[in-house]
Amino acid sequence: MAKARKSRGESMLVRYLVLGGWAAVCLLPILWFLSIGFRPRTEVITPQPIYWPTFSLDAWHLLMSDWPIAQYLRNSVIAVAGSVVIDLVLAIPAAYALARYEFKGREDIGFYILSTRMMAPAIVAVPIFFLFKTLGLLDSVWALMLIYAAINLSLVTWIIRSYMLDIPKELEDAARTDGAGDLTILREIIVPACLPGIITAAVIAAIFAINEFLFTLLIASTSNAYTMSVALANFTGGSDGIIYNAIALVSFIAFVPILILVILIQKHLSRGLTMGAVKG
Amino acid sequence: MASIHLQNIEKRYGGFVGVQNMSLEIADEEFLVLLGPSGCGKTTTMRMIAGLELPTGGKIVIGGEEMTEIDARDRDVAMVFQGYALYPNMSIYENIRFPLRMRGVPASEHDARIRQAADMVELGGFLDRKPGALSGGQRQRAALARAVVRQPQVFLMDEPLSNLDAKLRQSMRVQIKHMQRQLKVTTVYVTHDQIEAMTLADRIVIMNKGAIQQVGTPDQIYSDPANTFVAGFIGSPPMNLIEGTAQNGTFVAPGVTAPCPEYVRGKVTLGVRPEDCHVGGDNVQGMVYGVEPTGDTTYLTVLAGTKKIEVKAAREYRSDIDVPVAIHFDPAHLYFFGEDGQRIRGAA
Repeated sequence: MAKARKSRGESMLVRYLVLGGWAAVCLLPILWFLSIGFRPRTEVITPQPIYWPTFSLDAWHLLMSDWPIAQYLRNSVIAVAGSVVIDLVLAIPAAYALARYEFKGREDIGFYILSTRMMAPAIVAVPIFFLFKTLGLLDSVWALMLIYAAINLSLVTWIIRSYMLDIPKELEDAARTDGAGDLTILREIIVPACLPGIITAAVIAAIFAINEFLFTLLIASTSNAYTMSVALANFTGGSDGIIYNAIALVSFIAFVPILILVILIQKHLSRGLTMGAVKG
Repeated sequence: MASIHLQNIEKRYGGFVGVQNMSLEIADEEFLVLLGPSGCGKTTTMRMIAGLELPTGGKIVIGGEEMTEIDARDRDVAMVFQGYALYPNMSIYENIRFPLRMRGVPASEHDARIRQAADMVELGGFLDRKPGALSGGQRQRAALARAVVRQPQVFLMDEPLSNLDAKLRQSMRVQIKHMQRQLKVTTVYVTHDQIEAMTLADRIVIMNKGAIQQVGTPDQIYSDPANTFVAGFIGSPPMNLIEGTAQNGTFVAPGVTAPCPEYVRGKVTLGVRPEDCHVGGDNVQGMVYGVEPTGDTTYLTVLAGTKKIEVKAAREYRSDIDVPVAIHFDPAHLYFFGEDGQRIRGAA
């Protein structure tokens, strides 16, 4: 007995060591960014590593004085939030149709939608540029919103669909015999039941959108449309050279909103809302 | 309320026939049970009555109105599902209210009707809970309340008790029957459990391979089976079916002889229920294969040739195995079936 208990304690220890080690690996880059972001530029690149750098707000002052960070953040938020809303409005009914309606070629259409994700984005870069040029939408956050929405639509549809497939069909049959039509079923039964999936898809889409670089660089040419991801590139060229500590600090600032978002909706990211609906 | 007429309905899935050419009259206020093994088409039949599936042929009339092509939401039927199908995001109160909202019942009536329905299934104290916080039996009662709340023309119940444990099943069975008598709503109930069918039904429809085998009251089904399928499906343990030959008023099989009517000839199957077999006599000469006392009765299995015959013996009967034993059949309760499995009946 005692031996069994001991080995159980040991296995718990191993578990914590492994998980703790993995957590440290995941957190290291973030701490690294913070450390670089708050040290003077002279201590960023040195022949010997500096474990206890001098604390400095140089990068912070640089950002605040001659860099419209508020504008960039605002652009990012508008484009990303808008794109996620567009994705959800289009993806939820599409996912429902793909998950539930019987029609010819349903699986093919589902696969086609996902396959748009497999193409290298650079292939469509030039056509997209001319498309938005013709539309007069170059250097506009609205164009970015549309592009982000288009990039993520397939993924969002696919994630939500997989959650919808897990919803017991009996629920819809029950709602139908109770007198509900398709839209009511979607709104009152399906969407609440796959809310964790919808939130997960939205967060993933937001993360992809906020990190998008190629198309943003193509469309945005001034601070009208610069987002955090592209604005970062400002620090890599010019007469000042690469300003590493500013890059690190901006990267960290760009990371914070997503971190807050994920913490807020953490409980929805895990499944379990349908528990109790069917069987036990 | 409403009667239901099924006229030659049929459901095909590509080449597979789910339900074939089925006609059935269900009377107003009747409690009808569709009974059969899984895959026999009973659930498909019910789903066609509900409007969740459309028949590929035939007509469905509910309450005098043709409903064949009408969508489920526009039929006045309420359905209870095997898996309860409660809406997980809504409280029990909102679950029961859902059909009232969907059917446009005035909001002022909602509260009283919800409480009445919940009281009927003894769930009055659980209205604030979410389905996940209820036990299996409570969930199924909530599903019943949701079905009764809007006073539909027809109740459809698809194996509502099969996810419950045996004890709960018995008490829910009584509750369902009581409720149906009280509300006088035409009810179609699907099950593969013959005890449920026998105890609940006004009439039982036995189905196999998409076709009706027999329709009748539980008594008729039990005492006058139409074919070997029905005979072997009903009863616990089911009827003994012994293959043999009959000529000149005698049925013979290895270890078995029994009197039979003159018109029974050739290869036939003898059916005899375990309770119509008695220890002693001269119909079966076999060996004791096993003895199972259950408390109120003892089941004896006799090996005659290669055939095992179930006998409901006296409560105090005991025996070792492999001991010779003789069995006597009650001659008034012997059934004979032809090679096609159909009952052989004398010219009336």
